[in-house]
Amino acid sequence: MKKKALSILLATVLTFTMLTGCGKTEETADDQTTTEATDEAEVTETEPEAEAQKDVTIKTVSMFGGTDPNAEVYQQIIADFQTTYDYITVEDNSQSSDEEWKASVAADFSVGNEPDVLQFFTDATANQIVATDKFVSIEEIHAEYPEYAQDTMGTALEAAKNTDGVQRAVPTTGYWEGLFCNKDLFDQYNLALPTDFASLKTAIETFNENGIVPIAVSLNNVPHYWVEFSLLYAAGPEGYEAVPETAPADWVRGLEFVKTLRDLGAFPVDTDTVDNEYVGSLFKSKQAAMQLDGSWFLGGIEDQENTVVIAFPGMDDQKAEAGSIVGGISSGFYITRKAWEDPDKRDAAVKFVMAQTSQEAVQKYWEKGGAVGKAAVEVTPVEGMTNLALSALAYTNGATALCAPTDSRIDPEAYKTIIAGIVKVSTGGSAEDLLNEALAINNDRK
Amino acid sequence: MLYKKKWPLLIFVVPGLVFLFVFLYLPFVENIKNSFFDMTGVVEMPGSPWKFIQFDNYKKLFSDETIAIAIGNSFRMMGLTVVFEVGFAFILAVLVNNIRKGQQIFRTVFFFPIVISATAIGLLFKLFYNYNGGMLNQILKSLSLDPVNWLSPELAFLMICIPTLWSYVGFYFVILLTGLTNISDDIYEAADIDGCSKFKQVFYLTIPMMRPVIVTCVTLAVTGALKVFDLPWVIAANGAPQGLTHFLGTYMYQVTFGMNNYDYGSTIAIVIVVMGVVVSRLVHIIFRDEKKEVGR
Repeated sequence: MKKKALSILLATVLTFTMLTGCGKTEETADDQTTTEATDEAEVTETEPEAEAQKDVTIKTVSMFGGTDPNAEVYQQIIADFQTTYDYITVEDNSQSSDEEWKASVAADFSVGNEPDVLQFFTDATANQIVATDKFVSIEEIHAEYPEYAQDTMGTALEAAKNTDGVQRAVPTTGYWEGLFCNKDLFDQYNLALPTDFASLKTAIETFNENGIVPIAVSLNNVPHYWVEFSLLYAAGPEGYEAVPETAPADWVRGLEFVKTLRDLGAFPVDTDTVDNEYVGSLFKSKQAAMQLDGSWFLGGIEDQENTVVIAFPGMDDQKAEAGSIVGGISSGFYITRKAWEDPDKRDAAVKFVMAQTSQEAVQKYWEKGGAVGKAAVEVTPVEGMTNLALSALAYTNGATALCAPTDSRIDPEAYKTIIAGIVKVSTGGSAEDLLNEALAINNDRK
Repeated sequence: MLYKKKWPLLIFVVPGLVFLFVFLYLPFVENIKNSFFDMTGVVEMPGSPWKFIQFDNYKKLFSDETIAIAIGNSFRMMGLTVVFEVGFAFILAVLVNNIRKGQQIFRTVFFFPIVISATAIGLLFKLFYNYNGGMLNQILKSLSLDPVNWLSPELAFLMICIPTLWSYVGFYFVILLTGLTNISDDIYEAADIDGCSKFKQVFYLTIPMMRPVIVTCVTLAVTGALKVFDLPWVIAANGAPQGLTHFLGTYMYQVTFGMNNYDYGSTIAIVIVVMGVVVSRLVHIIFRDEKKEVGR
């Protein structure tokens, strides 16, 4: 009998040990952050209306986590928010955005475990989650809270609307993509910064002759920027922003431009195998002359005085006007229907989003991002900007067209098919076949 | 009968079975189901139902050039593992078994790569192979030679195989050496008295007596070759360059998580499982037949 009891006890312990490993904890990952009201040592000010409120806890999820420069600002705003509204507890679960994180957010929505407030993409990436009809539109919120998103510019709200044309998310800042150049290398070899394909070609040839990598890019890892600008300049803003059913000739010509550059020797010899961090280090250490990248690349450049951002030089027979830019606003704060329909959480969620998207908050996000991105509110320019930041401002101010990238319009699987196939196109594969394969996937998902 | 009452055993077995069922068999069945649908995401979202596409993914296997490369590379890797991992480990084991002093040092040295994570080894070799400033090209530079693109389409597969094979030699070395130590010294002494040379002893004594251990190592090696993933992925992700170094594992990962094509990724996963079962059965049959012949 004693043995039997012992064996049952051991089996129970074994079972629970295994099941404990499957249990969900909210504070496991290093880059996840949890902020709770109890962490706040002092509550200094409390609004009079707050005293009458009963305690409420809201769950928030954002991509302002991990190493994202916005994470610090985001957490500070949460801390201030909880100080102001001491009856509201924010249970935040933020993480840097990657495919795993996107999948976990989607999984939460599919099983009814969505947060109260979500900071997420607004483009095609969000289509699946938007299709669940679990977000509240800004129009609906405005009916009850006219002051909601009042600091946000109308154009920014319009830019952050979902692909079905409905405005649901309140954005903070946007981004742009441009050609970063090591101006000192251009000066050293008496080259002008490229303004058209002819001058780009001259620069590529000269740098090649002198053992400098002309353009730092990993076609195997992050060829996205070259794909976007090649398509934009080949097809023009109108053709670029259209979502065709089969491969248009201009898109084919655009992708083939990557092969033209490769044949000119513009890319590193090992562009097919290296990763993006490595080519970034080539550029930053002056072993490469140019790199096409986004506004987030700016902050990591040490030599802020001899590096500049310029417009994409373009290609022969281009349809886009010189100075056309890829960029936009592609994320924002959503309020879920779950929070909206909960009388206790509705007000707290609205207040939280307003705290994160106020003029003051967005100014902080904008400054943290180098004060060169696109802000969703009117921002006050900062003093003492570096040469690089000034060139970025001049670049964005001189934009002749601003177009959102292709992945904001087409299905993620279709887009990634293009990205995965660009190495083959650059080595002689058919751009038309690749585009048709990707667009067929997109057609199926419509 | 060691235990008269069997039911207490069930209590210990059932949790493990439940665990296997929930985390292995159930996902596998789910994976088979997924391969017949056009998955729009990892989970089926309300409002975005998955479309039933019948055998489209299986048909695609026959027109997909990259899967052909991946299968080809996986089979090449199988052959290489048998020859260079098991074969080389066997030679090392025989040599080390024949020395009396310093055996422990060799055991440690040969086994060492096993305790280093594959990711670390991958990063190490990636740094060796770098075109700009990599160790190999620095050596060439010091000899006034032109740098080499070690991961060019012509060299990449070889360059990936070298660390993959090297890192596992120690594993088979330890297994084989343990097998060798179990062979009685009396047999070798008798062979010595009969005038059998050391070289002949390996063929006529060691190999026949080590047969079960060698069969186990070969089975582990060929099935392990189908699961090769981490090292090639770290050295050259996405089957770089140009998809030429894809193995079944790396291609499945790229399709599933790099291209978000979850359903086709599920199909490739099934191919891996089927191939694993077929190959292990083949190894079993090949060695079983040999045994019968020996018995005659």
